Amino acid sequence: MRSERVEEYLEAISKRQKTEMPVSTSSLAADLGVSLPAVTDMIRRLEAEGLINYEPNRGVSLTAEGSRAALTTIRRHRLWERFLTDILGLRWDKVHDAACRLEHAISPDMEESLASLLSYTDTCPHGNPIPDKNGHVKDQDVRPLSEFEVGQKVRISAVVKEDGRLLRKIEKWGLKPKAIVKIKRKDDDGTLELKLDGQKLLLDKTTADYLMAICVSPGEEAADEEIPMSKLQTGEFGVLKSYTGGKEMLGRCLSMGFTPGSTVKMVENFGRGPVLAKVHDVEVALGQGMAARIIVTRMNPQC
Amino acid sequence: MLEQPEKPDKKTVVVALAGAPNVGKSTVFNILTGLSQHVGNWPGKTVEQKTGIARHNGLTLQLVDLPGTYSLTANSMEEQIARDYLVTEKPDVVVALLNAASLDRHLYLVTELMELTPRLIVALNMVDVARQEGMNIDVKALESALHMPVVPMVASKNRGLKELVEVIAQKCTQAVDSPAVGHVEYGSKISGDIAHIEGLLTDADTSPYPRHWAAMKVLEGDSQINKLLHDRLSQDRQAELDSFLSDKESAAITLAGLRFDWVKNVLSSAQERPAIGRGSVTERLDRAATHPIWGLAVLAAVMILVFLIVYGIGVPVQHFLQVSLIERVQTLVFDHAHFMPGWLQSFLGNGLLGGVGTVLTFLPILFLFFIAWGLLEDVGYTARVAFVTDRFMHLLGLHGKSSLPLLLGFGCNVPAVMGTRIIESKRARLLTVLLAPLIPCAGRMAVIGVIAAAIFGGQAILVTAGIIAFSLVVLVVSGLLMKRFILEGERAVLMMELPLYHEPNPRTIGLVSWQRTIAFIKRAGTIILVVSIIIWVLSYFPSGSIEGSVLGHIGRGLQPVGRLMGLNWQLMVALLTSFVAKENTIATLGVLLGREKAGLSQALKGMLTPAAAIAFLVAQVLFVPCVATVSAIRQETGGWRWVAFSVGLQLILSLSLAIVIFQIARLA
Repeated sequence: MRSERVEEYLEAISKRQKTEMPVSTSSLAADLGVSLPAVTDMIRRLEAEGLINYEPNRGVSLTAEGSRAALTTIRRHRLWERFLTDILGLRWDKVHDAACRLEHAISPDMEESLASLLSYTDTCPHGNPIPDKNGHVKDQDVRPLSEFEVGQKVRISAVVKEDGRLLRKIEKWGLKPKAIVKIKRKDDDGTLELKLDGQKLLLDKTTADYLMAICVSPGEEAADEEIPMSKLQTGEFGVLKSYTGGKEMLGRCLSMGFTPGSTVKMVENFGRGPVLAKVHDVEVALGQGMAARIIVTRMNPQC
Repeated sequence: MLEQPEKPDKKTVVVALAGAPNVGKSTVFNILTGLSQHVGNWPGKTVEQKTGIARHNGLTLQLVDLPGTYSLTANSMEEQIARDYLVTEKPDVVVALLNAASLDRHLYLVTELMELTPRLIVALNMVDVARQEGMNIDVKALESALHMPVVPMVASKNRGLKELVEVIAQKCTQAVDSPAVGHVEYGSKISGDIAHIEGLLTDADTSPYPRHWAAMKVLEGDSQINKLLHDRLSQDRQAELDSFLSDKESAAITLAGLRFDWVKNVLSSAQERPAIGRGSVTERLDRAATHPIWGLAVLAAVMILVFLIVYGIGVPVQHFLQVSLIERVQTLVFDHAHFMPGWLQSFLGNGLLGGVGTVLTFLPILFLFFIAWGLLEDVGYTARVAFVTDRFMHLLGLHGKSSLPLLLGFGCNVPAVMGTRIIESKRARLLTVLLAPLIPCAGRMAVIGVIAAAIFGGQAILVTAGIIAFSLVVLVVSGLLMKRFILEGERAVLMMELPLYHEPNPRTIGLVSWQRTIAFIKRAGTIILVVSIIIWVLSYFPSGSIEGSVLGHIGRGLQPVGRLMGLNWQLMVALLTSFVAKENTIATLGVLLGREKAGLSQALKGMLTPAAAIAFLVAQVLFVPCVATVSAIRQETGGWRWVAFSVGLQLILSLSLAIVIFQIARLA
């Protein structure tokens, strides 16, 4: 079995490789919080064991074997994090360091039991993918939030830097994975203005670099996103959440059966002109304006 | 509120019929009461009230048709009338008529009704439609879940009504098991709030409403109850109430949600539903009928068919009545009744027969049109018309419901004006009332037809279509102008149920058409008669001939105006008399130009150039609403102000446009 130290290095190189290839010794030193000479020392040892390739003055990259070893460590790390949050109930900003220690003290059998206990979950609490037993990582079209353009609507998928303070900040802003944000403005220094649940939020570039996100294609919004009923396409179902109209509108909605919690079927919506919605087994014709003031979430017809 | 039967009889039972619009309430009511019904208005309201008598085994049922409502929160005048009736008149039995195909929705009304009356019967109408939509209802299970009798029926096929009457008879002879009214379980939070408000209301007079119920409505934010209490509560209590209610704004939503939960619970054991997502028959039909393009094509086809049938059958009948009845009797009066004084001959022949008689010959056309429209209403198509026309009506600041009275106006403007009652917003209703008289009715179409045929021969159809199209353009432009003043800032909001399509019931259609026709005859029999007599008096005195009469003088006095549109004084008089009824134009011209057959057409040709004829038709089609329409406008707008506006507007429109058109046409 490889030493804890070796595994730490392989893990760090593997993570770094996503953005930097080959990985320079100085970034490695920064990531691991050790001195440059210490890094150089270790690199020689890893190269000798055939785990990495080292090009002087350029940097290091993992060999196939090194990569497999790194992924195993990453898998164990993320499984432990899941265990700590889901089973032990620790907060997501407190589990990284503990997992760093636990990841090295585990046998393949234990790893398998842990995965099974966690129902083979495929992400860590911070949204990063857990490689499977064979070291395969589920392909995802994710990019750092800082790389998206103005006007794009994206879903946060993961936080790559698992630093307690950063995580707490992100949680406070409501940017935890699955949050959907729209990029309203992008300054020259990379600062982003985001729209999140109708709120404005300014995000510096460094933080935006640590947040991985994925594009939300129009029409394919998350199932729990609240949208005006007028956005439901013909044949789609929705669950009524709330209203944005005045009191008089509320009375009419309630008496026509549009109560919160009701299932609504959009029978006809041509985008312009009145829409036809079915609620409580009754077809109701509604003007576009009226339909826009009734807020629903999309529902999968199979449910 | 109700007219009491002459002899208060112990065996007379008052039965109120409650239910949402489109559940077949009038069908049930009509079958139970037949023709022994009284149609009037609810006191002080422009909402129709129908009462009638039904007998069963020596028991007299006095039926009261409550306005169609979805709930009993005072969102509309109808809902207020329905609940006030239940509270103040305390009917012996209340029948809740529900649509079996959308029980989920319709049972909501039951949750509100049971809070106001302990003697409730549920009548499940359209169980056949429900089956067709894939829903099966277990009546026994529903009865035990609701703790009230449930009678399944198909009113349109007269099935289940006998059973309903028997259950009503049974219910009212039974002692009330519990005088207290029931209600949905509201949970401790809401119940606590209601109890707290009830406490605040202890010193206040909530009559006629029960205190507990009033407290619940206060919590729901019911504006009418709040207003009522505002005058009756002490200031301190009012302030206390206001502060208690300040964070209870969502209570109405919670209450409605609880009621629907209760309904869901009741139905879980009693109703078998089709799999979600399966398109119903109605949905499939609606794919064409409510499509933005196909829907308009369907509407156009339906309207053309209606006009073809109505005029195809109606016009020959009208012609027959005119020629073989009215004109024959007129000949009799003028040529063979020399024993009468001359003025009497003239009065009978020109005043009565020519005036009211001519109007009455149009009844078959009207009746046919009402039948066609009644059929469209009964199968559920008119709601689709409102839907597909909604986007066009938005241009005028109105919504789709306004197009229904306007389309009815092609038959007669009187039911069109009265039909505006279906529009919720007062201002939108007013605008529709003012636009309705601009729709060319059957009477005007007849005048256009006769004159166009006389002057333009083969091109009469084109001219007729052109004049109708022109009057519709005027309608749209007037609507655009009036919307600024009448609808200032108001947004048209469409929200209406599209009922399931179902088989029409000939009885209901017949009765509805009959009632509309009778309403017209009543007006024709009173106002039109009176005005006909006045016009006759003006046209006979002082000289005994129309040329030297007051009317003749007025006509000559108008000649300067007439000349601007190329019309002589006879045509101006004919225009004036169209105020009695639009079709009177022809009768007047007949009197003025000699009554010989074919003479009218020849005489018209002699005095009207094509330009003048067009001007005359424009003036005629836009001229002031007829007396019957005027009286309907007065009734619906509650005063003379808007009548004066409407008459003034159309007078200006008709004369000025006719002058402009004549001047342009003369140059061309």
